[in-house]
Amino acid sequence: MTEPDAPTATAAPRELEMYFGPQHVGMVGNFGIILTVEGDTVVRARANPGYLHRGFEKLMEYRTYIQNFPLVCRLNVMDPDPNEALYAMAVEDLAGLDVPPRAHYIRTVVLELSRVSSHLMWMWGYANLLGFETLGQWAMGDRDYVLDLFEALTGGRVYHTYIWPGGVRRDLPDGFADKAYRVLDHLQSMLPEYDNLFFNHRLFADRTQGLAVLGRDDALAMGVTGTNLRATGAAADTRKDEPYAAYGALDFDVPTMQDGDSYARAVVVRLEIEQSLSLVRQALEGMPGGPAWTKMPNPFKWEVPPGETYVKIESARGEAGFYMVSDGSDKPYRVHFRSPSYPVGILVLERLLQGASLSDVGHIMLSLNIAAPEIDR
Amino acid sequence: MRDRDGDRDRTGHVADADVNEEDLKQRIADRMPQCGVTVPKPGRLIATVPRDGLLSLLHLLKTDGFEHLSLISCVDWIDEGELELVYHLWSQEKKVHAMAKTRVDRASPRMLSVILLFRHAQTYERELHEMFGIDFDGNPRQVPLLLDHWQGIPPMRKEFDLRRHARETFGVEERTDD
Repeated sequence: MTEPDAPTATAAPRELEMYFGPQHVGMVGNFGIILTVEGDTVVRARANPGYLHRGFEKLMEYRTYIQNFPLVCRLNVMDPDPNEALYAMAVEDLAGLDVPPRAHYIRTVVLELSRVSSHLMWMWGYANLLGFETLGQWAMGDRDYVLDLFEALTGGRVYHTYIWPGGVRRDLPDGFADKAYRVLDHLQSMLPEYDNLFFNHRLFADRTQGLAVLGRDDALAMGVTGTNLRATGAAADTRKDEPYAAYGALDFDVPTMQDGDSYARAVVVRLEIEQSLSLVRQALEGMPGGPAWTKMPNPFKWEVPPGETYVKIESARGEAGFYMVSDGSDKPYRVHFRSPSYPVGILVLERLLQGASLSDVGHIMLSLNIAAPEIDR
Repeated sequence: MRDRDGDRDRTGHVADADVNEEDLKQRIADRMPQCGVTVPKPGRLIATVPRDGLLSLLHLLKTDGFEHLSLISCVDWIDEGELELVYHLWSQEKKVHAMAKTRVDRASPRMLSVILLFRHAQTYERELHEMFGIDFDGNPRQVPLLLDHWQGIPPMRKEFDLRRHARETFGVEERTDD
């Protein structure tokens, strides 16, 4: 929240301090930036998170392992499934639960669909902000087809409470693969339309190329991961570096760009959508038979052996990690989420906004694909 | 994954992929005898040092390729009167995740800041200052991050009673299951 020692008076006669948000063009009511501007140039920026702080990590210390399962997806509304997968992987590691191969493949389908849905939602916000409102509507409309798949699979559209320790909550329903192929075909056919309308559009390039450049060395030194890091040329991706679920058996490349500017960051997201569609298809085609979960202990009397673990996966925004400590009781002793938006949304954002034009602040922030709920937790 | 820099891969790290966790364990034990090192499973390394040795350990790990600081975490071991700081590091070329751990006194927790080694440690330390009450010497920005005008004890400490806080602040009654 607002830093109490921050100067309330303007630092120099020509400078003005203004609160950009939490309700502003780049974000709807959940993340603010305190800008010091001179004219319409940003002199300094301070991120102002905390509007979505719900105290998840403390709450989880008070809840049993099964009670925490429906809680964790709420960490990030845009990309909820990675949080479920992290929690499940951490509990499996501590409790020594095996996950059947089919569950790994189903998890991969869900995680990649979640990535597509998150990237489409990002595209909606980003394109709208840059004045490409048609693309915004298309992206949001196409995201709904992905949500239809989630509804068929899990019963929920936004929050799925589906990936749980030992596997997934239920097996694929009849006809799911066919439904999924139809959605994948549709999304695939829309990608050239997105490109014509936005990614190959000169106005988009003029507005974003060379803007808010983050170099590779700086990105690595500041803990940046995911699409923002890959936009600087570094091919780091947890799906490759420490494969989980079924990623080790799937064929995919890690798309990168070199320039590290707003344009490169957006194009990497666009390339990832295509790659994710391919991954969902591969996972569905290679789906093994067998059970989709292992039997869990009685959840009302479930005590997890003492120990600690750190698990990580590649969420839509980068390295999402989960540190869990168990003291042998029926509740976690300590949990801590490592969210990819955390280093990016505070220090990197503050740095990239220095010297930016006031009219670029919103879309520089969106180009970094920051999710405020992940920062606040 | 090599580019024109020769011995540097595309993530910028010097290649050292042949080193496994057991080699690393031996290397750390040789150079820091006061450090306890375990390898709980492949790809994971836990190194525990007394408080004074932490910066040396982090420096050693960083020069050994652990250049990515994932997270700084803290665990409140209230019964032992200590707070445990856990620095999570990742080595891209070794594909190993290391946890460097140390403990500080719970009554007056102080630690040296690591922002000279890892710039973005600033925010993690800022949060731990707010949530656990740890002072990080050398961190210039130990101001509130997530909480709004918080007056109570640091809320992630174990003695902070969440249920009582909810009752007193929001008037929420405990549910009784009988």
